[in-house]
Amino acid sequence: MADKEARWQIVFQPSGRRGRVKAGTTILEASRGLGAEIETVCGEKRICGKCKVRIETGFFERYGITSGPSHTSPFTEEESKHISAQEKEQGYRLGCVARIEGPLVVFVPEESRTGKQVIRKAATQRAIDLHPAVRLCYLELEAPTLSDPVADLDRVRRKLSLEYGLEPVTIDYAALRELSDALRRGGWKVTLALWQDSEIIAVWPGRVEHGYGLAVDIGTTTVAAYLCNLGNGELVATDSMMNPQVAMGEDVMSRITYAMSHREGGLGRMQGALIDGLNKLIRNVARSSKLTPRDILEVTFVGNTAMHHILLGIDPEYLGVAPFTPAVHGSLDVKARDLGLQVHPGASAHILPIEAGFVGADNVGVLIAEEPYNQDEIILIVDIGTNGELVLGNRHRLLSTSCATGPALEGAHIKSGMRAAPGAIERVRIDPQTYEVGCRLIGDEHRRGRRAVRPRGLCGSGIIDAVAELYRAGVIDRTGRFRKGLSSARLVAVDGRPEFILAHAEETAIGRDITVSQEDVRNVQLAKAALYAGARLLMRRLGVDRVDRVVLAGAFGSYIDTEEAQVLGLFPDCPPGRIYAVGNAAGDGARIALLNRHKRREAEEVARRVEYVELTLEPDFQRYFVEAMYIPHMVDKFPHLGALLGMEGAA
Amino acid sequence: MTQQKQAILDRLKQGVIDYDEEAVKEAAQEALEEGVDAYEAIMDGLSAGMGVVGDLYEKKEYFVPELLMSADAMYVGLDVLRPHIKEGSRGERKGQVVIGTVQGDVHDVGKNLIKIMFEVAGFTVHDLGRDVPLEKFVEEQMKTDADIVAISAMMTTTMMGMQKAVEMIRQRNPNVAIMLGGAPVTQEVASLFGADGYAESAGNAVQEALKMLKNLREMRKP
Repeated sequence: MADKEARWQIVFQPSGRRGRVKAGTTILEASRGLGAEIETVCGEKRICGKCKVRIETGFFERYGITSGPSHTSPFTEEESKHISAQEKEQGYRLGCVARIEGPLVVFVPEESRTGKQVIRKAATQRAIDLHPAVRLCYLELEAPTLSDPVADLDRVRRKLSLEYGLEPVTIDYAALRELSDALRRGGWKVTLALWQDSEIIAVWPGRVEHGYGLAVDIGTTTVAAYLCNLGNGELVATDSMMNPQVAMGEDVMSRITYAMSHREGGLGRMQGALIDGLNKLIRNVARSSKLTPRDILEVTFVGNTAMHHILLGIDPEYLGVAPFTPAVHGSLDVKARDLGLQVHPGASAHILPIEAGFVGADNVGVLIAEEPYNQDEIILIVDIGTNGELVLGNRHRLLSTSCATGPALEGAHIKSGMRAAPGAIERVRIDPQTYEVGCRLIGDEHRRGRRAVRPRGLCGSGIIDAVAELYRAGVIDRTGRFRKGLSSARLVAVDGRPEFILAHAEETAIGRDITVSQEDVRNVQLAKAALYAGARLLMRRLGVDRVDRVVLAGAFGSYIDTEEAQVLGLFPDCPPGRIYAVGNAAGDGARIALLNRHKRREAEEVARRVEYVELTLEPDFQRYFVEAMYIPHMVDKFPHLGALLGMEGAA
Repeated sequence: MTQQKQAILDRLKQGVIDYDEEAVKEAAQEALEEGVDAYEAIMDGLSAGMGVVGDLYEKKEYFVPELLMSADAMYVGLDVLRPHIKEGSRGERKGQVVIGTVQGDVHDVGKNLIKIMFEVAGFTVHDLGRDVPLEKFVEEQMKTDADIVAISAMMTTTMMGMQKAVEMIRQRNPNVAIMLGGAPVTQEVASLFGADGYAESAGNAVQEALKMLKNLREMRKP
């Protein structure tokens, strides 16, 4: 690869930043140019070893490139000071040393990343009725005698029946092995943990006051864990991490493809990476609460269908192609140890049911948290991720669907896009007269009037704002096209195509203009049209022409400006004040299922009851989709929005 | 060419660009009344207009709705003009295309756009629809002796099936030109899967197809 003029495609993971760079550039230089941001402390003097990255090997369908160690300059002596033999084997290099000599996919491990992602998956305050599946029973038994030599387990059973009215009770094999010793060490006073009142899963000598459980939301990008006290429902600790599978593909489809194209062990690698990450998360939440992983007696999981299958080690291939059939619909209870989870050996993992190929346990979590099936009002629940999931209805009927919104609303595939991390522009205002721009940044506290951070790019909520504001300021028209003949220093042509500068190079942390391009607007239009068309088609199916409430679930929904979202036409018109965010409702659903087993039955019922609608099979899908590409819409009216804003064309 | 005729052709063209069905219909009727050759009106009026629309789409100035509305306007004009095409003036068809969305994939908006652009350019299009079994592409190509097979995929997962489709078509007919397109597809993927062409968007698909055909025909020359 001696061609010094060549430019190679390079993709950084997990950020997904990509572009072509000149051969001979170091990985660190390339990352800076592409905004992938690798940590460096020593200023590239090759001494700190902070900029460790991993070169991925293989063909990556998603980008159409083949990556491997041979596409970099040879490994050097200097690097071996920071990189162990084992790491070297895995493809680790120092970003400041390795030069690019061919197409590459580069994984930037968490410790090498600057601008750690802001994890927006905090738990919401919710009142949850307490009926956990795991409860503790304290027993004082009579010691066996020659005249009463009944076996230890039978003795315990007899007492459970007598004091708690519970029978017949089975025992987990791991708990059985500890039973006799615990009884004697506790002087025949023991605490048992019972799962679903039917199985003894743990036993401790003496009295134990508290049992704990963990609720986990496995997102395609972010995994969040909520440690709860099963006795009082208290949320003890929350922690989250980036889904380690991001290295194998940034979205659901590329994960499924990874399993398909790496027949030998691809699925196992993804499952293993997740389980390893979960075990680390488990140790973290336990430690921060002065507990041990063994104190965790049950784990509940929500996640989209692909994450669900991969967690369980089930081949996700058939989810990825029509007719998108999952392997299993109903909820599952498996031993956590069978999944490789390092919690109490007797602990169960409860995985919530899924609705359809593209509407998973995460959506079921949202449903049991929001309970649209107990309401009279027509509710539209919008959960925006790489796929937008919609639920519409009330107590009489519920419809759900999944819309291919693509990653634009998450900041991917947007020229200046980035994930929600410090320096991301999350709010945008544009003055319609002067085109002056006001931005709010993540991590910017505005302490003493000084900016704590400088802008690096646009995250999802910022993109929605930016496009809506460009429309309100008249920079783009309702078709999404940049108007001609406007003059402003912020309007520039790049390769003959218009772009609007939100932040000039000298104001940014990246030394480049942060802009919104015509193509960005088009990508946002596609995403929002998919969502809007989905909502409209569900409304047609249900036979309603308006919704009473719009509920925005998901981390992303909590951060978007609902007014700007309406200006853009992200969802149908709705009375002001009746659109609200409910936070990470999927994670809340996992917590609810952990703390209330009756809600598991509810989840099972509603998952079966919800009617899944395949949008692409709906008559006129294309027309609905295309009409929704206009801002806010080609023909639909927005009377509430129009009244609110006094907007032309909206009312 | 008389000025009047040129004015009518311009109106047909502009009507398509402005996606103004009424204007196109009027201009088409006027073309017939004034004795403008129907085939010429189609090619130099309607089709020329769609050519401009394709360029605008390529530059992202026009988007899917505009492209489709322009196509609607064009079809209104075609309905008026087509019955009046004189025998023999039809001109040479550019070729035949078999098109469809690959097995497992139900997204067909992109495929429909490409289909329109092929029709506009004078190709005969055999549309197999969506979720098309791989062998159906082979069968249809053999049946119609089409010059081009164009396959679309909108998901990374279904894109994987394209490689097999290319192999199957090649095996039966090494001379057919195969073109791939769709959101996850890139030039690199198309090359890796052994296709002859790659359509980045509806705007450049036909250009690509023509280039591809030219190359293949040159290769086939003895």
